[in-house]
Amino acid sequence: MRVTLPHMGNLCIPFKSIFQRLDIDYVIPPLNSRRTLSLGIKYSSEGLCIPFKLILGNLIEAAELGADTFLLPGGYGICRLGYYAKTQEQILHDLGYKNIKVVEVVVSNDQLSGPSFVKMIKSLSNNASWLKVASVVRFGLSKLKALDQVERVVQKVRAVELVKGTANQLLAETVKAIDQADDYRALKTVQSDYIDQLNHVAKDEQVRPLVVGIIGEFYVLLEPFASFDIESELGKLGVEVKRRLFISEWTKFSLLPNPLKISERDQLYRAAAPYLKRDVGGEGWESVGEKVLRAKEYDGIIHLAPFTCMPEIVAQNIMPITKEKIPILTIICDEQMAKTGLLTRLEAFVDLLARQRRTHYNKQLGVV
Amino acid sequence: MEVYLGVDVGSVTTKLAAVNKNGELLGHIYLPTQGKPIEMVQTGLREIKGQLPQEVDICGVATTGSARYLAGVVVGADLVKNEITCHAMGTLHYIPEVQTIIEIGGQDSKIIIVRDGIVTDFGMNTVCAAGTGSFLAHQALRLGIGIEEFAQRALTSRTPVRIAGRCTVFGESDMIHKQQMGHQIEDILYGLCQALVRNYLNNVGLGKKIDSPIVFQGGVAFNQAIVKAFHEELKTEVIVPPHHEIMGAIGAALLVYEEVLSKNRRSQFMGFGTSEAKYHTTSFECESCPNLCEIAQLVLDDQVLARWGGRCDLWERVQAEEVK
Repeated sequence: MRVTLPHMGNLCIPFKSIFQRLDIDYVIPPLNSRRTLSLGIKYSSEGLCIPFKLILGNLIEAAELGADTFLLPGGYGICRLGYYAKTQEQILHDLGYKNIKVVEVVVSNDQLSGPSFVKMIKSLSNNASWLKVASVVRFGLSKLKALDQVERVVQKVRAVELVKGTANQLLAETVKAIDQADDYRALKTVQSDYIDQLNHVAKDEQVRPLVVGIIGEFYVLLEPFASFDIESELGKLGVEVKRRLFISEWTKFSLLPNPLKISERDQLYRAAAPYLKRDVGGEGWESVGEKVLRAKEYDGIIHLAPFTCMPEIVAQNIMPITKEKIPILTIICDEQMAKTGLLTRLEAFVDLLARQRRTHYNKQLGVV
Repeated sequence: MEVYLGVDVGSVTTKLAAVNKNGELLGHIYLPTQGKPIEMVQTGLREIKGQLPQEVDICGVATTGSARYLAGVVVGADLVKNEITCHAMGTLHYIPEVQTIIEIGGQDSKIIIVRDGIVTDFGMNTVCAAGTGSFLAHQALRLGIGIEEFAQRALTSRTPVRIAGRCTVFGESDMIHKQQMGHQIEDILYGLCQALVRNYLNNVGLGKKIDSPIVFQGGVAFNQAIVKAFHEELKTEVIVPPHHEIMGAIGAALLVYEEVLSKNRRSQFMGFGTSEAKYHTTSFECESCPNLCEIAQLVLDDQVLARWGGRCDLWERVQAEEVK
């Protein structure tokens, strides 16, 4: 048995750690590339979304390296994601990979179910004890948290660094160092070291950067390949990016019930309620909620959606009519998206935000 | 005399505009790009020089359009600006009270929403090129009539046929079907114009509040039949401003004037002599990672001036190092 999983941001780092510590034979597919995408496109039905195609590409490339057990996101909900694992299993089967096993990692409401996740990992291991599995999973997830902490700082630094690209280089080093960290102590040192280095990057202290919130479907938000690394591009334009969704957010295990509905998600649902009263699958409901809730906080919002993504199309059509106003730009992520087209839109959007902010200040100062 | 140049290199046409510091248009050029952006920029520079007085001092030059980075290196741009901002700037100069700008060019179409002289929202065609100039030109060619004749014939239509405008592919097959059923050419042509307008409003204009004054510009605004179709569909007047086809270049020139004024810098303009230089472009496949990006480079006398096309900024960094 050789286990693998598709890429999504740095998701492979914690899993690698878990597999290694439980002596599970694994293979991480090559990073997303044009080849991955071409394979995904070739063997998918045309109308499917970019997450499906990239994930399928990962699986094929992993299968080429001998993988036979695939961890795939699954679960229920109104979006097509629920049947992706089954469809991809069938496609791999048709491609000649006969003896394969698909393990669905159930993610519902953006949350892994803790006990079932540990149980799933245990089933992959060679009869490791519950205690060992639980502790290994916990350590893997700590890596994820550390990565996300560093990334949050990177989002701020990118906007104001004097030498563009410095923060990205440090981020790449962090990923490597966290991957190699062997225990909690090493992990903590790496995290604080890199955050420290990031804080000391030469910055333009004069500017107060524009703040743009990125919302939308979670795969295109979390996998830079799917969006031409939109966060870095915005950083180059001097924009600070804020994003609610991080992979580690999933792992705040829902062990405790939440009778008072005080989670951030519930806040989003309440904010969205005047315009959308129910889940429409994927992140559609959350997108509307975030727009309403953050309209005063950010200078602008960029809404990412895969082409043909029903939940985000619903959100896209609701967002312009809410009474809470904020400039919003929807970017559709698909296979043929050209980078120039994306940059034109981003540059124009940033110009728009900068002009609005200037006018706003002039008004405050009484200058017409 | 102080002159500011705007160069707009689109996929289908290349536009140049020269303005003085009062924003008055001194000269303008409109050329087909024909897939040769560098040569057309050079030709444009030569031609616009002839329109300007002998004693001109180019104080600033800006590039825009889809080849703005390439053109920026060739002319030595002080400012490289996206076409949305440039178009809005140009239009606001002529029609300050504008609230909606409809812009349809060769390969793309956009809508810009302006309130109180500030861009508040914009949209661009994303996954489909239906309803752009190229689509019209292609259909005119298929029917064997010139693009100039297109508008005149379409305007004589009395009973336009309904053509599906949602998608070029469906639109075309619908059109062929109507032709084979014996409908008049002019009715098909005007039906096509209506389809284009519907498609534009349903896609690019989706969810946008289209208030008047509405300005229609870009190459397609030459087509009076499309203007009429917009007028009928929106049930309000649609203004086609003078110089609508070079609005992006004018906007770029006005923006670089602002830029030069605020930064107080000397222009990096390469001079009109650059129109004689022998630039060429080459490309290679980067093998640093499995992405195998195609990197294009602009070369002058064996010296690489710029590189583009990577998913990451590896080659931009190499370029910066070499310049150092």
